[in-house]
Amino acid sequence: MKRFIISGAIFCFTFLIAQAQDKFIFTPQWTAQAQFAGYYVALEKGFYKDAGVDVEIVHPSITQSAISRIRDNKSQATTLQLAQALEIIDDGIPIVNILQTSMNNAMVIVSRRGQNPLKQVGAKVGIWNAGFGQIAQCMSKQENLNYQWVPFANSVNLFISGAIDATLAMSYNEYYQLLQTGIELNETNVYRFYNHGYNIQEDGLYMTREYYESHKEQAMLFAEASRRGWEWAAENPEETLEIVMKYVQMNHIATNRILQQLMLDEVLKLLVDRENKRRIYTLRPDMVEQASNLMFENGMLSRPIKYEELIAE
Amino acid sequence: MKQKSLSTRLSIWIVLLAGLIFIAALGVFFNESRKAVRLEAIQHATQSLDNTIQRVTNILTQVKVATDNTDWLIKRHLDAPDSMFVYSRRILENNPILNGCSVAFEPFFFKDRGLYFSAYSLNTNGLIQTIQEGNDYYQYFSMDWYQLPKLLDHPCWTEPFSDFNPQGISSPDMIISYCKPLKDENDVFFGTISVDLSLEWLSKTISAVKPYPNSYSIMIGQGGTFFVHPDTTKLFYQSIFTPTLIKADTAIAGLGHAMQTGQEGMRQLTVDGEDCYVFYKPLDDTGWSVGIVCPAMDIFGGYYRLINAIIGIVIVGLLLMLMIFSGIISNHLEPLVELSYQAETIASGRFDEEITEYKHNDEIGKLNESFRYMQQSIVRQIEELKQVNEQKGRIQGELKIARDIQMAMLPKIFPPYPDRDDIDVFGQLTPAKEVGGDLFDFFIRDEKLFFCIGDVSGKGVPASLYMVVTKALFRTISAHESSPEKIISRINDAMSEDNDSNMFVTLFVGVLDLPTGRMHYCNAGHDAPILIGNTGAGLLPVDSNLPVGVMANWKFTLQETLIDPDTTIFLYTDGLPEAENINHDQFEMNRTIDLAHNLQQNRVFSPTAIIERMTSAVHEFVGEADQSDDLTMLAIQYTKHHEEIKYQRTLTLTNDLKRVPRLNTFIDEVCEANGFDMSSTMQINLAIEEAVVNVMNYAYPAGTVGNVTIEVKSNGSEVSFIIIDSGTPFDPTAKPEVDITLSAEDRSIGGLGIHLIRQIMDHINYERVNGRNVLTLIKKISK
Repeated sequence: MKRFIISGAIFCFTFLIAQAQDKFIFTPQWTAQAQFAGYYVALEKGFYKDAGVDVEIVHPSITQSAISRIRDNKSQATTLQLAQALEIIDDGIPIVNILQTSMNNAMVIVSRRGQNPLKQVGAKVGIWNAGFGQIAQCMSKQENLNYQWVPFANSVNLFISGAIDATLAMSYNEYYQLLQTGIELNETNVYRFYNHGYNIQEDGLYMTREYYESHKEQAMLFAEASRRGWEWAAENPEETLEIVMKYVQMNHIATNRILQQLMLDEVLKLLVDRENKRRIYTLRPDMVEQASNLMFENGMLSRPIKYEELIAE
Repeated sequence: MKQKSLSTRLSIWIVLLAGLIFIAALGVFFNESRKAVRLEAIQHATQSLDNTIQRVTNILTQVKVATDNTDWLIKRHLDAPDSMFVYSRRILENNPILNGCSVAFEPFFFKDRGLYFSAYSLNTNGLIQTIQEGNDYYQYFSMDWYQLPKLLDHPCWTEPFSDFNPQGISSPDMIISYCKPLKDENDVFFGTISVDLSLEWLSKTISAVKPYPNSYSIMIGQGGTFFVHPDTTKLFYQSIFTPTLIKADTAIAGLGHAMQTGQEGMRQLTVDGEDCYVFYKPLDDTGWSVGIVCPAMDIFGGYYRLINAIIGIVIVGLLLMLMIFSGIISNHLEPLVELSYQAETIASGRFDEEITEYKHNDEIGKLNESFRYMQQSIVRQIEELKQVNEQKGRIQGELKIARDIQMAMLPKIFPPYPDRDDIDVFGQLTPAKEVGGDLFDFFIRDEKLFFCIGDVSGKGVPASLYMVVTKALFRTISAHESSPEKIISRINDAMSEDNDSNMFVTLFVGVLDLPTGRMHYCNAGHDAPILIGNTGAGLLPVDSNLPVGVMANWKFTLQETLIDPDTTIFLYTDGLPEAENINHDQFEMNRTIDLAHNLQQNRVFSPTAIIERMTSAVHEFVGEADQSDDLTMLAIQYTKHHEEIKYQRTLTLTNDLKRVPRLNTFIDEVCEANGFDMSSTMQINLAIEEAVVNVMNYAYPAGTVGNVTIEVKSNGSEVSFIIIDSGTPFDPTAKPEVDITLSAEDRSIGGLGIHLIRQIMDHINYERVNGRNVLTLIKKISK
């Protein structure tokens, strides 16, 4: 009996090792939501399997953020905003972009009714404590608005309760959460960065350069299957929403179908390049350069990061 | 479409009216009831809501008081960080209802404690654990419960949240926190005290409010998120505004904003497709709002059940009414239907169909009685009608016979005298009714044509009887009376006597001496005849006199004229000029005269032709109109052509019987000259002698001398002996025929003589001309 248990334990262990070696762990940078619809689709529809990549999606936790999982080699790929990627490279961790999903900036500043964010000098403005909002910080300095940044965890409560004057929001996420609280959003109290010369790409698919160099083929297969997932999602938004909701429920996310539907619609729009009206899935050198310069000028980077540093090959 | 029966129509009207009254009454009743139910519901729900809010507020107040009581201790013992664990723990110990308590400080507030220092105690089913909770994975500085009082600078409640500290302890439940900023004597913020309450308890308390079976409670936070809701898919995940993101709903949005802004009230709106009443009230100073959603069906469920029951009862009642009324009315009208069938049967001719007697004395009873009375009357009337018809038939038959008799009385063989060349007659009578009052007649006696035409006043049977009498009198009287005025006078006298019926007759009587063409005539109120002859056409001049029967002893005037050969005397009754067409225009005399002229110009003298032409002219004029009066026409054409006198002699004698032999000789000579044989000569001698002797004996008074002249004329075919005297007027022809059956002694004087003359001579005529008696005796010459 005892021997049976030991041999069973040995079997399990070897199996897990084998699994760990073959598995391709992908960790999106946030909890499950429509922002990552293309990846869920690629997994659910078997695009990864078709490509011969055994992908597992592991969402980040409080103790393990996406970037820490990459750094710790626990995940092979993650999504990052371009500004985040620049910071990480500046920190000395070479990473490469293998697929760019966002072609446009989705960040907005929302003020109270009747207020204009551009006229609220020195206002208390909410910002994610998870590390997004670099472009906003640059803009605050560029435009001499000198916002007082108030980090928030993951809700819009500070803004609703009146504790802060304005808040940063993603047009696909917090923007709708704010609408859901019953506040009125219009052209005056909503500042959209892409409309004001700060149209800098956001979400893209990244992995360490080290991993990339050693698993180029797998990386490209993964990127291509992911791209296929996004294309399918764009063609089949209703079925995609069902898939998203499956992940949302599996992860007990405090959201609802309507919010996810709105988020999916917005994310799919962000896939389309504003200039050539197509989904091109690549980083734009001009945007990389603009982001790098902005962040460098505002002291967020120790040096300008070149486009080539982000690009595979 | 078949007409509905009276009972159905009446019942439908009654039921419709009753239905309208019900609708009106129930409408008012339902409306008022609904108002009352609504008011009651508002009071009931509001009361429940108030009670619950009060209970919750009491707890919340307890939390605040506990916090305030600890607040000052913390500020006093800032020199002893570890004492914070004690205060944190003591709050829970003193208030078992509390779930947790954090006393958290700004980064590096206590230099020796580093970045994080937050004393946190957690009550897990009475077991209280206390730890320092801050770490890299639980950066409480970014937590709402820490930041809100700091940023707002006053105590506040957080939105419900799920706390999770991966490297510490945390409540497994959703919690709400009352948090208060900690500030030093310089009013500088240095930390937050946060006291947690399990949302579960709050949720249970609020959910327990259930004023109606299907009502439920909700609580929304400042952001509209549901923190209490029976639907777990909405709880924490959705806000009251979520559905409005994809489909505008101003009612829901309005409710959300009202609740968010701390208003209290009641709204009626559609929630998840159901009509609901929502009662809402803010929860103390938390910024949250509690609402009770009551489906209208719950509130008005009893009311609707009542309505349905009443409407059901009313409908069933009305249907029953319809059936019962229909039945009752139909039942009451059954005698009427039966009566109708029986009336139809009677109408079809079966008059003996028995009408069922209806006992009740109501309208139908009266109608029934009237019908039965009517039936009896009809039967009786029909019986009478039958008798009348039979009588009428009999009378008709009799009238027909009377007509035949009347017609038979009239001359009907035309031409009446085919053997004669001196006269042609045609007559025609068309009565307006079965029998008529017109008459005409003619006959020849002693070579004289006696004729008459008359028109009795009035028509029909009385007139016909009068006509018959008149005609009979004419025949009787003219049999021995040759003078028209005498004939009429005698008829008049006879008819005027005992004329109680005041009837009269217009009459024209003419006597045409055929050998001479001299016509004597008398008119009693009749229309003047028309003469149509070679020289022209025109009315015969007549004295009108009086109609016969009007006045006895009236002196009728005698008139005379000479009728030229070929002339036709056209006689008619007033049925001719007074014939009417449909416009009641009359034919008039002028048309008659015009037609006569026309006939004359065309030389139409034949009686038959004249009457036919007159008849067709009248028919053409009258057209479709009924004949208004009897129409009688009589036409007499005198066709005598006088032959040339070849032989003529005259002998005048005194009234002396001795002169008789001279007469005999004269007669013998005449007879010989004209070729009579011996026997005829003797007979002529006898007849002339008889007539002359008669004159000699009686014409002159005894002892007076008078002459008697005998003129003899012969034309070769007949010999006329004209005996003329100027003595006493005497008409031997007026003597009645001799009754030869009597003995010679019994016979009147002269009677046998005139009989002898009539036997011998072919024609005998008497006239009184210029004070002389002129007796003409004619004997045809045998060839």
